[in-house]
Amino acid sequence: VRIYEDLRLVQTRLTVLQNALVLVMVVLAGVFWHLQVVRGRSFKALAENNRSRVVPIAAPRGPLLDRRGRILVENRPSFNIVVRPEHVEDLDDLVRRLGALLRIGEGQLRERLADRTSPFRPVVIRQDAPLEEVAALEARRLEFPDVSVDVVPLRSYPLAAAAAHSLGRVGEIQKAQLELEAFAAQKPGDLVGQAGVELQYNRSLMGKDGSRRLVVNSRGREVIELAREQPRDGPSLTLTLDQELQVVAERAFGGRAGSAVALDPGTGEILAMTSIPAYDPNAFATGIDAALWQQLSRAPDTPLMNRVIQGQYAPGSVFKIVVAAAALEERVVTPHSSFYCPGHLAIYDTVFRCNRPDGHGMVSLHQALAQSCNVYFYQLGARLEIDRIARWAKRLGLGAPAGIDLPHELPGLVPSSAWKVSTHRAPWYAGETISVAIGQGQVTVTPLQLARLTALIANGGRLVRPHIVKAIGRAQRPDDPLDAPRLRPETIAAIRGGMCAVVNQRGTGWRAQLQSVEVCGKTGSSQVVASRVRQPTAHETLPHAWFVAFAPREQPQIAVAVLVEHAGSGGVAAAPVAREILAHFFQRPVAAPEPAVAD
Amino acid sequence: MAIDRRLLLNLDWVLLGATLALTAIGVAMVYSATFSGAHSGLYLKQASVAGVAALGMLGVLSVDYRRLADRAMVFYLAAAGLLVHVLLFGPRIAGTRRWFMLFGLQVQPSELAKVAAALFAAKVFAEMRKDHLGLRDVLQPGLALLALMALIAAEPDLGTAFCLVPLFLSIALLAGLRLRAVASLLIAGVVLFGLGWKYALRDYQKTRIYTFLDPSLDPRGAGYQKIQSQIAVGSGGFTGKGWKQGTQSQLGYLPARHTDFIFSVLAEETGFLGVLFVLALYLLVLWRALEAAQLARDRLGAFLAAGLTAVLAFQVVYNVAMVAGLVPVKGLPLPLLSYGGASLLSTWLSIGLVLNVRMRRFAN
Repeated sequence: VRIYEDLRLVQTRLTVLQNALVLVMVVLAGVFWHLQVVRGRSFKALAENNRSRVVPIAAPRGPLLDRRGRILVENRPSFNIVVRPEHVEDLDDLVRRLGALLRIGEGQLRERLADRTSPFRPVVIRQDAPLEEVAALEARRLEFPDVSVDVVPLRSYPLAAAAAHSLGRVGEIQKAQLELEAFAAQKPGDLVGQAGVELQYNRSLMGKDGSRRLVVNSRGREVIELAREQPRDGPSLTLTLDQELQVVAERAFGGRAGSAVALDPGTGEILAMTSIPAYDPNAFATGIDAALWQQLSRAPDTPLMNRVIQGQYAPGSVFKIVVAAAALEERVVTPHSSFYCPGHLAIYDTVFRCNRPDGHGMVSLHQALAQSCNVYFYQLGARLEIDRIARWAKRLGLGAPAGIDLPHELPGLVPSSAWKVSTHRAPWYAGETISVAIGQGQVTVTPLQLARLTALIANGGRLVRPHIVKAIGRAQRPDDPLDAPRLRPETIAAIRGGMCAVVNQRGTGWRAQLQSVEVCGKTGSSQVVASRVRQPTAHETLPHAWFVAFAPREQPQIAVAVLVEHAGSGGVAAAPVAREILAHFFQRPVAAPEPAVAD
Repeated sequence: MAIDRRLLLNLDWVLLGATLALTAIGVAMVYSATFSGAHSGLYLKQASVAGVAALGMLGVLSVDYRRLADRAMVFYLAAAGLLVHVLLFGPRIAGTRRWFMLFGLQVQPSELAKVAAALFAAKVFAEMRKDHLGLRDVLQPGLALLALMALIAAEPDLGTAFCLVPLFLSIALLAGLRLRAVASLLIAGVVLFGLGWKYALRDYQKTRIYTFLDPSLDPRGAGYQKIQSQIAVGSGGFTGKGWKQGTQSQLGYLPARHTDFIFSVLAEETGFLGVLFVLALYLLVLWRALEAAQLARDRLGAFLAAGLTAVLAFQVVYNVAMVAGLVPVKGLPLPLLSYGGASLLSTWLSIGLVLNVRMRRFAN
């Protein structure tokens, strides 16, 4: 054993190591200085962000009530089964166990879990889950720490399809809508109004969501609540609709396609609004079912369309009210002027037929309206010419939206010589005026516009603004400024007389007669322009049947417009529908009246 | 027990005191990290293991390190035997075999292997009577250590396996390995790492390295630990959130918070001041340990103390750097602070050996 070892090299190198160690430790201290002191503030914010979470409290959507406070739309609680995937350790295991419990295919479940924008966003794997599933899951809470049940209010429509178009529906907000100012407060996934009143009044119906500020642990579970902001519930909306009348109107169609609208002629309040075919808005309550949506939006009978405000049809003989008003106001005729009807009129090198081939003989305005004599109105049309007809049609509310508080109302069309030049680059032919004079040709209207026209005759010449919402919460809708009468009293009286005869004096609308209530109306049939796409069926070549009416004759309380698609004559097909609505409204027996004349 | 009064006079009380202080801080942090959870009694277990470790240290002190080194080969073979045993018969937990049960106690051979390896390497190098060593001279001890490394890496426990690299390098350096040879060893290491990356690393290990380079790749996976640890450290600020008050650790955002990430808890709850204090304690421990090597009466003592210090220093620096997000996450405990009996015991034994070297610098 050596007594002495040379340790000089060892000691030199140890000194180097010692100094290196000090250097490394100083560098580490510097790193912690940087993390904790220099960047401490931003890491504090991150830690705070980690531990606190703002959870929204959904404000329940306001219910919709009818004019007497009966529920039209309400909320019901539903249960969503939600997975918070960021905490799941063994996804395969969870998919297997959850799939077995909820009887969801593993592939479908996996797809749902994969289809998410952010790993931190909870995934809804079952909407509106049945109670037994919720109970089964609650009983196994500990086995599924990352699965929870959220209570979500869902829209419920007790009337189902009976008021689908006016009430509308809710659905998940669409990408394009997110950019609109009306949906500025919304985020993806929100349920918003997508049609009808639900869309038009979406903002006030939604109320304002509240929020809870929570401390959560790393598994996202709530530890304590730091602050709470209560939601502001959406206010209830009182509609002008009458629930019973609405159901009656829908039933009166017996499944035929068409639409009906009833309003208060004095105020423009919509009492009932039906469009058929319809759909059940409950089917959309949990969001859009893609297959159902495809089916509804592609159906040839357009169930998503609200025919009352979006169906544009030729007004047929109902337009004679407009032509009569124009002629009286322009003093082209007096109420006592008569024309001779031989069953046709040869004018502008064409023979125009009357609806009665053997002619009505000498007819005054009264009889011409009652019997819907075409020749009489050919004469008026020829004397008025198109531009005066167009001016009066527009004064009486046609050719422009009626301004109802529902989305996507269409304007119809009132042709004029200027319109023809600008759209067809061709001059107006006088012969076209003859067609327009009986409501055929280019002129189109919506049922709502004709109901408003009827209300104008009923209320003494004023145009009302049709509306469907009476009050938001406790705030009543302010009354509209009263419109100045657009027709002279004599004009109104003459037209009312004619319309009364239509129903009560062996006229074309006798099927609308009501016991002890004097109904005034006008029939019409709207000739169908053949589709260029495919050969129409025999049914599709039938004209649309129109009937408009108001009642009673003195101080009218209701005005209605009814259109039954491809149903033939207005008196036969549409007047009975109007009658059922009126019978219910006046609490009269529904039994049909005795025939007065052959049709 | 052959500890006479003269030996006690030469005991490094500063090193012993700093070791005790760090152990106590460790128990306190383990308490803070676990008191609210299902394993709230872990700090008691840690404290009692510390007591056992102190007894173990006393045992190590009582025997002259030269007599221990004489049996280095026995220790080496025993360690290798235990490592083979655990690979063959140890329970498989989370894909690894790292310990086995013996008389109701968990035995983790890789921790003891580090101490055995230090004794073995110090002994082998001390007997080389050359002023300067080339690569050929270090081949034999190098291969012997590589064999232990391979056994530990096979568990797999790459972190602990890698601890033998600083052990070998430090002793070889002190023994006179030419700097040129050190450089070529480092180059060889890089090449080996490249080959290992291609053929030996498991996918989860590669993922860890990828996500270290870009934590946002997998915010809930390996990158999550780094991000959450940095948030914990940074949000501690200058003075910390207070003992038991760290939101990151108490609400469970920190993974492995009482083991590998105990330093995050410390940084969050005691702030930069606490970090500075603990780093200063570690520097004191390591500095005094190297001083023991400086003062050693022979090459064996210097090599032994320096080699053990190198292992400790590597673990401290790597763990603290990992907590700060500077290096990839590896399952490497922080000596004295992290919860874990085997690590605490082997650290106390290592420091016992260092004390032993210093204590017997004048003895014959």
